[in-house]
Amino acid sequence: MSSFGISSSLEDYLEAIAELVELNGHAHTKDIAERLKIKMPSVTNALQSLASRGLIVYQSHSPVTLTASGALRAAIIRNRHVAMRVFFSEILKLDPEEADDAACKIEHVIGEKVMSRLVFLAEAITSRQDCESLRSFLDEIMPQLHSDEDDELIPLSELDEGQRAIVGLVSDSLKGKKKFAELGLVRGTLLQMEGRAPFGDLLRIKVLCCSLSLRAKDASQIWVKPTKDLV
Amino acid sequence: MQPFRIALAGNPNSGKTTIYNALTGTRQHVGNYAGVTVERKTGRLLIDGLDIEVVDLPGIYSLSSSSIEGKVAAMELHESKIDLILNVLDAGNLQRNLYLTTQLGELGIPMLMVFNMADDAKKRGFVFDIAKLQRFFGAPIVETIGHTEQGIDELTATIAKMLRGELAIKRLPFRYNKAVDEAIESLTERIDALEGKDETKFPPRYLAIKLLENDSQVMELPFLTPLLPEVSEVNQRLNALTGLESDILMADCRYGLIAGACREAVAVKKNNRREISDSIDKVVTSRLLGVPIFLVIMFLVFAFTFNCGAPLCDLIEQAIGSLADAIDSLWSDDSLPFLKSLVINGIIGGVGGVLMFLPNLLLLFTAIAFLEGTGYMNRAAFVMDGFMHRFGLHGKSFIPMLLGFGCTVPAVMATRTIESQKDRLTTIMVLPLISCGARLPIYTLFIPALFKQPWRPVVLWSLYIIGIVISLIAARVLKSTLFKGDDEVFVMELPPYRMPTLKGILFDLGERTMVYLQKAGTIILAASIILFIVNSLPVKPGCSRAELAKVKETQGAEAYAKLRLEAAQYTIGGRIGFLLAKPMSLAGFQDKDGNPDWKGSSALIGAFAAKELFVSQLAILNSVDDYEDNGITQLKDKLARQYTPLSGFCIMLYCLIAMPCIGTVAVVKRETNSWTFALAQLAGLTFLAWLSATLVFQIGSLF
Repeated sequence: MSSFGISSSLEDYLEAIAELVELNGHAHTKDIAERLKIKMPSVTNALQSLASRGLIVYQSHSPVTLTASGALRAAIIRNRHVAMRVFFSEILKLDPEEADDAACKIEHVIGEKVMSRLVFLAEAITSRQDCESLRSFLDEIMPQLHSDEDDELIPLSELDEGQRAIVGLVSDSLKGKKKFAELGLVRGTLLQMEGRAPFGDLLRIKVLCCSLSLRAKDASQIWVKPTKDLV
Repeated sequence: MQPFRIALAGNPNSGKTTIYNALTGTRQHVGNYAGVTVERKTGRLLIDGLDIEVVDLPGIYSLSSSSIEGKVAAMELHESKIDLILNVLDAGNLQRNLYLTTQLGELGIPMLMVFNMADDAKKRGFVFDIAKLQRFFGAPIVETIGHTEQGIDELTATIAKMLRGELAIKRLPFRYNKAVDEAIESLTERIDALEGKDETKFPPRYLAIKLLENDSQVMELPFLTPLLPEVSEVNQRLNALTGLESDILMADCRYGLIAGACREAVAVKKNNRREISDSIDKVVTSRLLGVPIFLVIMFLVFAFTFNCGAPLCDLIEQAIGSLADAIDSLWSDDSLPFLKSLVINGIIGGVGGVLMFLPNLLLLFTAIAFLEGTGYMNRAAFVMDGFMHRFGLHGKSFIPMLLGFGCTVPAVMATRTIESQKDRLTTIMVLPLISCGARLPIYTLFIPALFKQPWRPVVLWSLYIIGIVISLIAARVLKSTLFKGDDEVFVMELPPYRMPTLKGILFDLGERTMVYLQKAGTIILAASIILFIVNSLPVKPGCSRAELAKVKETQGAEAYAKLRLEAAQYTIGGRIGFLLAKPMSLAGFQDKDGNPDWKGSSALIGAFAAKELFVSQLAILNSVDDYEDNGITQLKDKLARQYTPLSGFCIMLYCLIAMPCIGTVAVVKRETNSWTFALAQLAGLTFLAWLSATLVFQIGSLF
């Protein structure tokens, strides 16, 4: 439940109606259904619910319009969406599309209080003078965190013999990960698969000029990014 | 003046031991750290008037308290006065080796870096900017080639200069990254302000870093307790910022730092020559040929041990025999006859019996030291792991088991290379099941006496195999009950192949031999004396030596033998034998007519002292004088008359499985730090032996 006293799906309806009204001057039930990818009967139900709250004017066979209070609420909802999108794109440095997507998801689940404070934080960070160094720090750090490259990672145990790869991520649940880290298996280390032991369970890799053997079970928790060249 | 103390620290396989041997020569002492099974090696070094004690720390990849060796090394570096750290690095594998250097550099102790195996690094195409590296790590660098001792003179000269304070390079704190550095600095300041920081010699900055690493050893320091909430807060912040948990954050930072340093100061001349070591490994550890090659190498080791050992064993046997004869002729029977008999039969017979296997053992140890020196042993562990893992052991359990064919005592000590405590205990528990060299005399006595050709080698072979099979099954059972689960991850380095140096092998051999001789010199000596007493006291009235000799002269050999047997029954050993005879007869300790055999049971007391004493004990009880001509042949005849082949097999089977010798019990107690394990093993194996021998005998008797 959001602080508006209406469910998050009703908020979506209100938002969609506001956008359609802005575009066409009015909103047809059919357009609303198309926009939200929802079947007509459900739309009708939702519209009746909104109308009973006095947020829209809804009569069958005529386009939907917003009441004054409905227009206000829709504006607030859209405002929040924009604010969240700004937060994701300006502070967390996400791409516009990702930011929009994340804003859609988050705007319904946090309350007005948290939202307003987040919006204030975003404004402070982006505009205040004493946040200058913070801004440049965020510019530098944010894009490095969980970059999209993570998608191409494969478990170390699945490398082919002779294949080289760079360590991308070591799973937190890997037992003894400190020991592996101390032997050089940290982010960015280049390694090469050298082969597997007879009977299978152990594999050996070359890390920093030396050969290490480890269990396939442990290796499957070390995620690597294969390099293109096969040596 | 108090001598200077320097500590040698370095990765395993960095050639640290070679440098240590080159520096200290034979002025070495091997001990143990209290409470843990890590060797503590110290040696003396004299450089123009400077008296220096060299502490050889265990080979470690890092100073963290996640391994026993790391803990011990950290303890040694902090809690004793160390004037200089000698950090030995494999110059051909600098990045990994420098990891430890970044930790050592934070201890606030002067450091000297030794770039060992410099020739190897050169061959691989590395070119070092030594001046830059010296500045970066704040330590002078000396290049050495350990196995040819090149650079050792320069090393000793530099050590002397540093100890005299004539050479020092200013060390700046390492800079990791902004966020981490700030965290380190703020914690350092907080520690600096704490009361009680003088309780430890750690510099505050080092403590700060260790706190960030969540190092248990440092976090337990009482005066740091007030800081812990703050540390966890800082860690959470860093975790959020970097996406790395605190325990690997510092590792990440250190490798980052090293990568930066190497980019600037190490050039790699493009060298496309495939490394010989890698090409060898392509074959030796391949899925197809790995196991066959391993089996061939093992066959060669045993062939070498037994073929070259046999003539040497004969020599020693003769030498011991002539020593006994010499004493016999010099020491008149009239003075202290009991003591004379104790010396000749008890001590020389007992200890001599053990020394007879020394050549075999030495050769086995030599072969293993050689293989270890080349780096093959780790490959063998790699190749065999898949097989051993099925039985709950792992690749590294394999080396102790191999040594177990020589002697269980050094084998138990060799389990120290197994990091996982549970795997190590499992291995120790099953090690006595591997037929050690001392059981061979029992086999070589019984098999020719009771079995005809061509069955003899088959029986011998089957005993060895039975031992191995039972040990694997026992390991599997222990690993799935008492020692369930893994408590340590398995990572093993496969160092490049190297030609071992003669000096290295000799040092290794010397150490192992000393341990064995210590066993012979102490436990077996004591056991021999006790056994002799058990077997000769109390003296039956009318059966003293003089009286026996008289009977032999006047009434002939048969009466003498009868009387001597009666005397033997009267002794403590004889009485114990009678007590044991009943239950043991179920397990095959009975003569052809089915009478319980008290002699065999009594000889088991000897087997407890040392397996091979079973033979001399049987000889005494059967009235055969060990060192008389044809003593063993006579004994074989008697045994052939006494036992059926089935009995003989069961007796051998029992001796194979039962009661590890007292030396093993002692070493297991020391290595596990627990009497419970040592005694449980003793009881468990004895029961298992009785059970298996009984089963075999009872089922065998049906046919």
